[in-house]
Amino acid sequence: MKRLGVGALLLATVLVQVTWAPRIAVAGAFPNLALVAVIAITWTAGVRFGMAWACVAGLMLDLTADGPLGPHALALLAGAYLTGFWARNLDRESVLHPVVAAAASTALYSAVLVLSDDVLGLPVPPLGIALQLVVAAAIYNAALMPLVLATVRKLHSPVTRRAEPV
Amino acid sequence: MYGRSQRRSTGLFLTLCAAMLLLAMVTEQTWAAGARGAVKSMLAPLEAVMTQVAGNVDRITSVFGDVSTLRAENQRLTAADQALRRQVVELNAAAKENASLRQALDFERSYGHHMVAAQIVGRGPDGFSRTLEVDRGTADGVLPGMIVTTGAGLVGRVQEAGPHGAIVETLADPQSRVNVFLSKSGLQGTVTGGPASLQLDLEHSLGVSATSGEWALTSGVGGGYPRGLVVGEIASITHRDSSTSDQAVVAWVNDPAAVSLVLVITDFVPS
Repeated sequence: MKRLGVGALLLATVLVQVTWAPRIAVAGAFPNLALVAVIAITWTAGVRFGMAWACVAGLMLDLTADGPLGPHALALLAGAYLTGFWARNLDRESVLHPVVAAAASTALYSAVLVLSDDVLGLPVPPLGIALQLVVAAAIYNAALMPLVLATVRKLHSPVTRRAEPV
Repeated sequence: MYGRSQRRSTGLFLTLCAAMLLLAMVTEQTWAAGARGAVKSMLAPLEAVMTQVAGNVDRITSVFGDVSTLRAENQRLTAADQALRRQVVELNAAAKENASLRQALDFERSYGHHMVAAQIVGRGPDGFSRTLEVDRGTADGVLPGMIVTTGAGLVGRVQEAGPHGAIVETLADPQSRVNVFLSKSGLQGTVTGGPASLQLDLEHSLGVSATSGEWALTSGVGGGYPRGLVVGEIASITHRDSSTSDQAVVAWVNDPAAVSLVLVITDFVPS
Protein backbone atom coordinates (compact mmCIF):
# COMPACT_ATOMS: atom_id res chain seq x y z
CA MET A 1 0.00 0.00 0.00
CA LYS A 2 1.30 3.46 -0.78
CA ARG A 3 2.12 4.95 2.60
CA LEU A 4 1.82 8.51 1.42
CA GLY A 5 -1.62 7.76 0.04
CA VAL A 6 -2.73 6.14 3.27
CA GLY A 7 -1.36 9.01 5.33
CA ALA A 8 -3.14 11.54 3.15
CA LEU A 9 -6.35 9.51 3.32
CA LEU A 10 -6.24 9.36 7.11
CA LEU A 11 -5.44 13.06 7.49
CA ALA A 12 -8.34 13.87 5.17
CA THR A 13 -10.74 11.57 7.05
CA VAL A 14 -9.75 13.07 10.41
CA LEU A 15 -10.21 16.62 9.11
CA VAL A 16 -13.57 15.77 7.55
CA GLN A 17 -14.61 14.02 10.75
CA VAL A 18 -13.96 17.06 12.94
CA THR A 19 -15.29 19.69 10.54
CA TRP A 20 -18.00 18.32 8.30
CA ALA A 21 -19.24 15.03 9.79
CA PRO A 22 -21.01 16.59 12.82
CA ARG A 23 -23.34 18.35 10.37
CA ILE A 24 -24.80 15.00 9.33
CA ALA A 25 -25.48 13.65 12.83
CA VAL A 26 -28.31 11.15 13.21
CA ALA A 27 -29.72 10.39 16.67
CA GLY A 28 -26.81 12.31 18.15
CA ALA A 29 -24.19 10.18 16.40
CA PHE A 30 -22.06 11.06 13.43
CA PRO A 31 -19.78 8.87 11.33
CA ASN A 32 -16.36 8.04 12.72
CA LEU A 33 -14.54 8.16 9.41
CA ALA A 34 -11.12 7.60 10.95
CA LEU A 35 -12.30 4.38 12.57
CA VAL A 36 -13.92 3.17 9.35
CA ALA A 37 -10.74 3.98 7.39
CA VAL A 38 -8.55 2.12 9.91
CA ILE A 39 -10.84 -0.89 9.73
CA ALA A 40 -10.72 -0.83 5.93
CA ILE A 41 -6.91 -0.56 5.99
CA THR A 42 -6.65 -3.42 8.46
CA TRP A 43 -9.05 -5.54 6.42
CA THR A 44 -7.10 -4.90 3.23
CA ALA A 45 -3.45 -4.76 4.31
CA GLY A 46 -3.31 -6.76 7.52
CA VAL A 47 -3.48 -6.23 11.25
CA ARG A 48 0.05 -4.94 11.88
CA PHE A 49 -0.23 -2.33 9.16
CA GLY A 50 -3.69 -1.42 10.43
CA MET A 51 -2.51 -1.02 14.02
CA ALA A 52 0.34 1.27 12.99
CA TRP A 53 -2.03 3.54 11.12
CA ALA A 54 -4.54 3.30 13.97
CA CYS A 55 -1.95 4.97 16.22
CA VAL A 56 -1.34 7.74 13.67
CA ALA A 57 -5.06 8.41 13.11
CA GLY A 58 -5.81 8.15 16.83
CA LEU A 59 -3.17 10.70 17.74
CA MET A 60 -4.57 13.04 15.10
CA LEU A 61 -8.01 12.66 16.68
CA ASP A 62 -6.52 13.28 20.12
CA LEU A 63 -5.12 16.56 18.83
CA THR A 64 -8.67 17.74 18.13
CA ALA A 65 -10.25 16.48 21.38
CA ASP A 66 -10.02 17.74 24.93
CA GLY A 67 -7.97 15.77 27.42
CA PRO A 68 -4.64 13.96 27.12
CA LEU A 69 -3.11 12.47 23.98
CA GLY A 70 -3.61 8.72 23.62
CA PRO A 71 -7.19 7.61 24.39
CA HIS A 72 -8.41 7.79 20.78
CA ALA A 73 -5.26 6.03 19.57
CA LEU A 74 -5.82 3.30 22.15
CA ALA A 75 -9.46 2.92 21.12
CA LEU A 76 -8.56 2.74 17.42
CA LEU A 77 -5.87 0.17 18.20
CA ALA A 78 -8.48 -2.06 19.83
CA GLY A 79 -10.75 -1.66 16.80
CA ALA A 80 -7.90 -2.53 14.41
CA TYR A 81 -6.87 -5.58 16.46
CA LEU A 82 -10.44 -6.91 16.53
CA THR A 83 -10.79 -6.35 12.80
CA GLY A 84 -7.49 -8.09 12.15
CA PHE A 85 -8.56 -11.07 14.21
CA TRP A 86 -11.86 -11.15 12.31
CA ALA A 87 -10.25 -10.82 8.86
CA ARG A 88 -7.73 -13.55 9.61
CA ASN A 89 -10.42 -16.08 10.34
CA LEU A 90 -13.08 -15.17 7.77
CA ASP A 91 -13.54 -14.62 4.06
CA ARG A 92 -11.86 -11.30 3.18
CA GLU A 93 -13.67 -10.86 -0.12
CA SER A 94 -17.12 -10.91 1.44
CA VAL A 95 -18.77 -7.49 1.85
CA LEU A 96 -20.88 -8.57 4.80
CA HIS A 97 -17.97 -9.42 7.09
CA PRO A 98 -16.29 -5.99 7.01
CA VAL A 99 -19.65 -4.36 7.54
CA VAL A 100 -20.29 -6.43 10.66
CA ALA A 101 -16.67 -5.95 11.73
CA ALA A 102 -17.17 -2.18 11.47
CA ALA A 103 -20.19 -2.34 13.76
CA ALA A 104 -18.39 -4.58 16.27
CA SER A 105 -15.22 -2.47 16.17
CA THR A 106 -17.27 0.68 16.76
CA ALA A 107 -18.71 -0.87 19.91
CA LEU A 108 -15.24 -1.94 21.09
CA TYR A 109 -13.74 1.45 20.17
CA SER A 110 -16.42 3.23 22.20
CA ALA A 111 -16.02 0.90 25.16
CA VAL A 112 -12.24 1.36 25.22
CA LEU A 113 -12.58 5.13 24.84
CA VAL A 114 -15.01 5.41 27.76
CA LEU A 115 -12.99 2.97 29.86
CA SER A 116 -9.69 4.77 29.23
CA ASP A 117 -11.31 8.10 30.12
CA ASP A 118 -12.58 6.52 33.32
CA VAL A 119 -9.17 5.06 34.16
CA LEU A 120 -7.49 8.41 33.50
CA GLY A 121 -9.98 10.12 35.81
CA LEU A 122 -11.68 12.04 33.00
CA PRO A 123 -15.46 12.54 32.97
CA VAL A 124 -17.44 9.80 31.22
CA PRO A 125 -20.96 10.00 29.75
CA PRO A 126 -23.90 8.34 31.53
CA LEU A 127 -24.43 4.70 30.51
CA GLY A 128 -27.80 5.27 28.82
CA ILE A 129 -26.51 8.07 26.62
CA ALA A 130 -23.34 6.14 25.83
CA LEU A 131 -25.32 3.08 24.71
CA GLN A 132 -27.59 5.17 22.53
CA LEU A 133 -24.60 6.82 20.86
CA VAL A 134 -22.75 3.53 20.38
CA VAL A 135 -25.70 1.84 18.67
CA ALA A 136 -26.31 4.79 16.34
CA ALA A 137 -22.60 5.15 15.53
CA ALA A 138 -22.22 1.41 14.89
CA ILE A 139 -25.04 1.46 12.34
CA TYR A 140 -23.70 4.63 10.74
CA ASN A 141 -20.14 3.29 10.44
CA ALA A 142 -21.31 -0.08 9.15
CA ALA A 143 -23.29 1.63 6.40
CA LEU A 144 -20.22 3.60 5.30
CA MET A 145 -17.88 0.62 5.37
CA PRO A 146 -18.38 -0.68 1.77
CA LEU A 147 -17.63 2.73 0.29
CA VAL A 148 -14.47 3.30 2.35
CA LEU A 149 -13.33 -0.29 1.80
CA ALA A 150 -13.61 0.15 -1.96
CA THR A 151 -11.51 3.34 -1.76
CA VAL A 152 -8.82 1.70 0.35
CA ARG A 153 -8.71 -1.35 -1.93
CA LYS A 154 -8.01 0.97 -4.86
CA LEU A 155 -5.10 2.50 -2.94
CA HIS A 156 -3.80 -0.95 -2.10
CA SER A 157 -1.84 -1.44 -5.32
CA PRO A 158 -0.91 -5.01 -6.42
CA VAL A 159 2.77 -4.04 -6.69
CA THR A 160 3.16 -3.42 -2.99
CA ARG A 161 0.51 -5.80 -1.73
CA ARG A 162 1.76 -8.20 0.89
CA ALA A 163 -0.58 -10.83 2.14
CA GLU A 164 -0.68 -11.72 5.81
CA PRO A 165 1.06 -15.03 6.55
CA VAL A 166 -1.42 -17.87 6.66
CA MET B 1 3.30 -20.01 11.21
CA TYR B 2 -0.23 -18.79 11.81
CA GLY B 3 0.22 -19.02 15.55
CA ARG B 4 3.55 -17.18 15.45
CA SER B 5 2.06 -14.42 13.32
CA GLN B 6 -0.85 -14.07 15.69
CA ARG B 7 1.48 -13.90 18.68
CA ARG B 8 3.55 -11.21 16.96
CA SER B 9 0.40 -9.20 16.21
CA THR B 10 -0.75 -9.56 19.80
CA GLY B 11 2.67 -8.54 21.06
CA LEU B 12 2.67 -5.46 18.84
CA PHE B 13 -0.87 -4.66 19.98
CA LEU B 14 0.06 -4.86 23.65
CA THR B 15 3.22 -2.81 23.11
CA LEU B 16 1.35 -0.07 21.28
CA CYS B 17 -1.41 -0.09 23.92
CA ALA B 18 1.17 0.35 26.67
CA ALA B 19 2.84 3.16 24.73
CA MET B 20 -0.47 5.00 24.22
CA LEU B 21 -1.46 4.58 27.87
CA LEU B 22 1.92 5.92 28.95
CA LEU B 23 1.53 8.86 26.58
CA ALA B 24 -1.95 9.55 27.98
CA MET B 25 -0.71 9.47 31.56
CA VAL B 26 2.22 11.78 30.79
CA THR B 27 0.21 14.32 28.78
CA GLU B 28 -2.51 14.34 31.43
CA GLN B 29 -0.14 15.86 34.00
CA THR B 30 -0.62 19.53 34.78
CA TRP B 31 3.01 20.34 34.00
CA ALA B 32 2.44 19.01 30.47
CA ALA B 33 -0.66 21.15 29.84
CA GLY B 34 1.27 23.91 28.06
CA ALA B 35 3.06 21.56 25.70
CA ARG B 36 -0.19 19.65 25.09
CA GLY B 37 -2.01 22.85 24.19
CA ALA B 38 0.80 23.90 21.87
CA VAL B 39 0.78 20.54 20.09
CA LYS B 40 -2.99 20.64 19.76
CA SER B 41 -2.80 24.05 18.11
CA MET B 42 -0.85 22.45 15.25
CA LEU B 43 -3.89 21.00 13.51
CA ALA B 44 -6.01 24.14 13.97
CA PRO B 45 -4.85 25.86 10.73
CA LEU B 46 -5.62 22.72 8.73
CA GLU B 47 -9.02 22.47 10.40
CA ALA B 48 -9.71 26.11 9.58
CA VAL B 49 -8.94 25.43 5.92
CA MET B 50 -11.13 22.32 5.96
CA THR B 51 -13.96 24.23 7.62
CA GLN B 52 -13.64 26.86 4.91
CA VAL B 53 -13.73 24.14 2.25
CA ALA B 54 -16.79 22.54 3.88
CA GLY B 55 -18.49 25.93 3.97
CA ASN B 56 -17.68 26.50 0.30
CA VAL B 57 -18.99 23.06 -0.63
CA ASP B 58 -22.18 23.85 1.26
CA ARG B 59 -22.50 27.12 -0.62
CA ILE B 60 -21.85 25.53 -4.02
CA THR B 61 -24.40 22.79 -3.49
CA SER B 62 -26.95 25.27 -2.22
CA VAL B 63 -26.73 27.33 -5.43
CA PHE B 64 -29.11 24.92 -7.14
CA GLY B 65 -32.67 26.13 -7.08
CA ASP B 66 -31.80 29.46 -5.41
CA VAL B 67 -31.46 27.61 -2.16
CA SER B 68 -28.46 29.77 -1.31
CA THR B 69 -30.50 32.97 -1.46
CA LEU B 70 -33.28 31.47 0.58
CA ARG B 71 -30.83 30.12 3.11
CA ALA B 72 -29.08 33.48 3.52
CA GLU B 73 -32.43 35.19 3.95
CA ASN B 74 -33.51 32.51 6.38
CA GLN B 75 -30.31 32.91 8.38
CA ARG B 76 -30.75 36.67 8.49
CA LEU B 77 -34.34 36.34 9.64
CA THR B 78 -33.43 33.62 12.14
CA ALA B 79 -30.68 35.80 13.58
CA ALA B 80 -33.03 38.76 13.79
CA ASP B 81 -35.70 36.57 15.36
CA GLN B 82 -33.25 35.17 17.90
CA ALA B 83 -32.06 38.64 18.83
CA LEU B 84 -35.63 39.87 19.28
CA ARG B 85 -36.64 36.80 21.26
CA ARG B 86 -33.63 37.19 23.48
CA GLN B 87 -34.55 40.80 24.13
CA VAL B 88 -38.13 39.77 24.99
CA VAL B 89 -36.91 37.05 27.30
CA GLU B 90 -34.45 39.32 29.01
CA LEU B 91 -37.04 42.07 29.41
CA ASN B 92 -39.60 39.61 30.77
CA ALA B 93 -37.10 38.19 33.20
CA ALA B 94 -36.00 41.64 34.29
CA ALA B 95 -39.58 42.80 34.76
CA LYS B 96 -40.23 40.01 37.24
CA GLU B 97 -37.47 41.06 39.53
CA ASN B 98 -37.56 43.91 42.02
CA ALA B 99 -35.00 46.69 42.11
CA SER B 100 -32.52 44.91 44.31
CA LEU B 101 -32.66 41.83 42.16
CA ARG B 102 -32.20 43.96 39.08
CA GLN B 103 -29.09 45.29 40.66
CA ALA B 104 -27.98 41.75 41.35
CA LEU B 105 -28.73 40.81 37.79
CA ASP B 106 -26.33 43.58 36.86
CA PHE B 107 -27.01 44.09 33.22
CA GLU B 108 -23.91 46.11 32.85
CA ARG B 109 -21.85 43.17 33.99
CA SER B 110 -23.81 40.74 31.88
CA TYR B 111 -23.50 42.66 28.68
CA GLY B 112 -20.57 44.96 29.30
CA HIS B 113 -18.11 42.09 29.47
CA HIS B 114 -14.91 42.11 27.53
CA MET B 115 -15.17 39.55 24.78
CA VAL B 116 -12.95 37.99 22.15
CA ALA B 117 -14.53 36.88 18.89
CA ALA B 118 -13.40 33.44 17.74
CA GLN B 119 -14.08 31.34 14.70
CA ILE B 120 -15.00 27.67 15.07
CA VAL B 121 -12.47 25.58 13.18
CA GLY B 122 -13.39 22.10 14.33
CA ARG B 123 -15.64 19.92 16.41
CA GLY B 124 -15.12 16.98 18.76
CA PRO B 125 -14.12 13.75 17.03
CA ASP B 126 -16.79 11.59 18.67
CA GLY B 127 -20.27 11.78 20.14
CA PHE B 128 -19.15 11.30 23.73
CA SER B 129 -17.70 14.75 24.18
CA ARG B 130 -19.48 17.56 22.38
CA THR B 131 -16.70 20.07 21.98
CA LEU B 132 -15.81 22.86 19.59
CA GLU B 133 -12.35 24.01 18.60
CA VAL B 134 -11.84 27.75 18.13
CA ASP B 135 -8.99 29.69 16.56
CA ARG B 136 -8.19 31.84 19.61
CA GLY B 137 -5.97 30.80 22.46
CA THR B 138 -3.84 32.03 25.32
CA ALA B 139 -2.08 34.49 23.01
CA ASP B 140 -5.46 36.21 22.58
CA GLY B 141 -6.32 36.13 26.29
CA VAL B 142 -8.46 33.00 26.13
CA LEU B 143 -7.96 30.77 29.16
CA PRO B 144 -9.54 27.53 30.46
CA GLY B 145 -12.75 28.17 32.40
CA MET B 146 -13.86 31.20 30.38
CA ILE B 147 -17.50 31.36 29.22
CA VAL B 148 -18.36 31.13 25.52
CA THR B 149 -21.53 32.62 24.01
CA THR B 150 -23.06 33.78 20.76
CA GLY B 151 -25.48 36.61 20.13
CA ALA B 152 -28.28 34.13 20.77
CA GLY B 153 -27.08 32.77 24.09
CA LEU B 154 -24.74 30.48 26.01
CA VAL B 155 -22.52 28.00 24.14
CA GLY B 156 -20.30 26.52 26.85
CA ARG B 157 -16.97 26.87 28.57
CA VAL B 158 -13.31 26.78 27.49
CA GLN B 159 -11.87 23.42 28.51
CA GLU B 160 -8.32 23.66 27.22
CA ALA B 161 -6.33 26.44 25.61
CA GLY B 162 -3.20 26.45 23.52
CA PRO B 163 -1.37 29.51 22.16
CA HIS B 164 -3.54 29.84 19.06
CA GLY B 165 -6.50 27.56 19.69
CA ALA B 166 -8.86 26.38 22.41
CA ILE B 167 -11.31 23.56 22.98
CA VAL B 168 -14.77 24.50 24.26
CA GLU B 169 -17.05 22.08 26.10
CA THR B 170 -20.54 22.87 24.82
CA LEU B 171 -23.82 22.57 26.71
CA ALA B 172 -24.57 19.47 24.60
CA ASP B 173 -21.69 17.61 26.21
CA PRO B 174 -23.03 14.89 28.53
CA GLN B 175 -20.77 16.22 31.31
CA SER B 176 -22.07 19.78 31.04
CA ARG B 177 -24.13 21.17 33.95
CA VAL B 178 -25.70 24.64 34.05
CA ASN B 179 -27.95 26.02 36.79
CA VAL B 180 -30.89 27.93 35.30
CA PHE B 181 -34.13 29.69 36.21
CA LEU B 182 -37.25 29.94 34.08
CA SER B 183 -38.34 33.32 32.76
CA LYS B 184 -42.06 33.17 33.79
CA SER B 185 -42.44 30.73 36.64
CA GLY B 186 -39.07 31.53 38.19
CA LEU B 187 -38.48 27.84 38.91
CA GLN B 188 -34.89 26.75 39.20
CA GLY B 189 -33.19 23.67 37.85
CA THR B 190 -30.12 22.20 36.23
CA VAL B 191 -29.62 21.73 32.51
CA THR B 192 -27.53 18.73 31.48
CA GLY B 193 -26.18 17.90 28.06
CA GLY B 194 -27.29 15.11 25.80
CA PRO B 195 -26.76 13.86 22.26
CA ALA B 196 -30.06 15.04 20.86
CA SER B 197 -31.33 17.73 23.24
CA LEU B 198 -30.65 19.43 26.56
CA GLN B 199 -32.38 17.96 29.61
CA LEU B 200 -33.65 20.11 32.47
CA ASP B 201 -34.14 18.72 35.96
CA LEU B 202 -36.64 21.15 37.49
CA GLU B 203 -37.35 21.61 41.19
CA HIS B 204 -40.95 21.33 42.39
CA SER B 205 -42.47 24.41 43.94
CA LEU B 206 -45.88 24.55 45.62
CA GLY B 207 -48.49 26.21 43.39
CA VAL B 208 -46.08 26.96 40.59
CA SER B 209 -45.56 24.90 37.50
CA ALA B 210 -43.43 25.36 34.44
CA THR B 211 -44.97 25.59 31.00
CA SER B 212 -43.71 24.92 27.51
CA GLY B 213 -42.38 28.01 25.79
CA GLU B 214 -40.74 29.44 28.89
CA TRP B 215 -37.12 30.47 28.55
CA ALA B 216 -34.30 29.07 30.63
CA LEU B 217 -31.60 31.55 31.66
CA THR B 218 -28.46 30.98 33.69
CA SER B 219 -29.18 31.59 37.37
CA GLY B 220 -25.61 32.24 38.45
CA VAL B 221 -26.04 29.72 41.28
CA GLY B 222 -22.73 28.06 41.99
CA GLY B 223 -20.80 30.86 40.34
CA GLY B 224 -19.94 28.84 37.26
CA TYR B 225 -21.75 31.13 34.83
CA PRO B 226 -22.87 34.77 34.97
CA ARG B 227 -26.57 35.28 35.64
CA GLY B 228 -28.96 36.04 32.80
CA LEU B 229 -27.48 34.26 29.78
CA VAL B 230 -30.14 32.63 27.61
CA VAL B 231 -29.80 28.84 27.41
CA GLY B 232 -32.94 27.76 25.56
CA GLU B 233 -36.69 27.39 25.39
CA ILE B 234 -38.70 24.71 27.18
CA ALA B 235 -39.91 22.35 24.44
CA SER B 236 -41.75 19.83 26.61
CA ILE B 237 -42.24 18.96 30.27
CA THR B 238 -42.85 15.68 32.03
CA HIS B 239 -44.53 16.18 35.40
CA ARG B 240 -43.87 13.47 37.95
CA ASP B 241 -46.00 13.59 41.09
CA SER B 242 -44.02 10.81 42.69
CA SER B 243 -40.76 12.66 42.30
CA THR B 244 -39.34 15.82 43.80
CA SER B 245 -38.48 17.15 40.37
CA ASP B 246 -39.89 17.45 36.85
CA GLN B 247 -38.06 16.66 33.65
CA ALA B 248 -38.09 19.03 30.71
CA VAL B 249 -36.52 19.10 27.27
CA VAL B 250 -34.83 22.39 26.39
CA ALA B 251 -34.45 23.57 22.80
CA TRP B 252 -31.00 25.12 22.85
CA VAL B 253 -30.80 28.57 21.25
CA ASN B 254 -27.55 27.58 19.55
CA ASP B 255 -27.32 24.87 16.94
CA PRO B 256 -23.77 23.55 17.46
CA ALA B 257 -23.64 22.22 13.92
CA ALA B 258 -24.49 25.63 12.48
CA VAL B 259 -22.59 28.02 14.77
CA SER B 260 -19.48 29.40 13.09
CA LEU B 261 -18.53 32.37 15.28
CA VAL B 262 -18.51 32.63 19.07
CA LEU B 263 -17.63 35.19 21.72
CA VAL B 264 -15.36 34.32 24.64
CA ILE B 265 -16.05 36.35 27.79
CA THR B 266 -12.58 37.14 29.06
CA ASP B 267 -13.38 39.09 32.24
CA PHE B 268 -15.72 36.70 34.04
CA VAL B 269 -13.96 34.45 36.51
CA PRO B 270 -15.97 31.38 37.54
CA SER B 271 -15.89 30.87 41.30
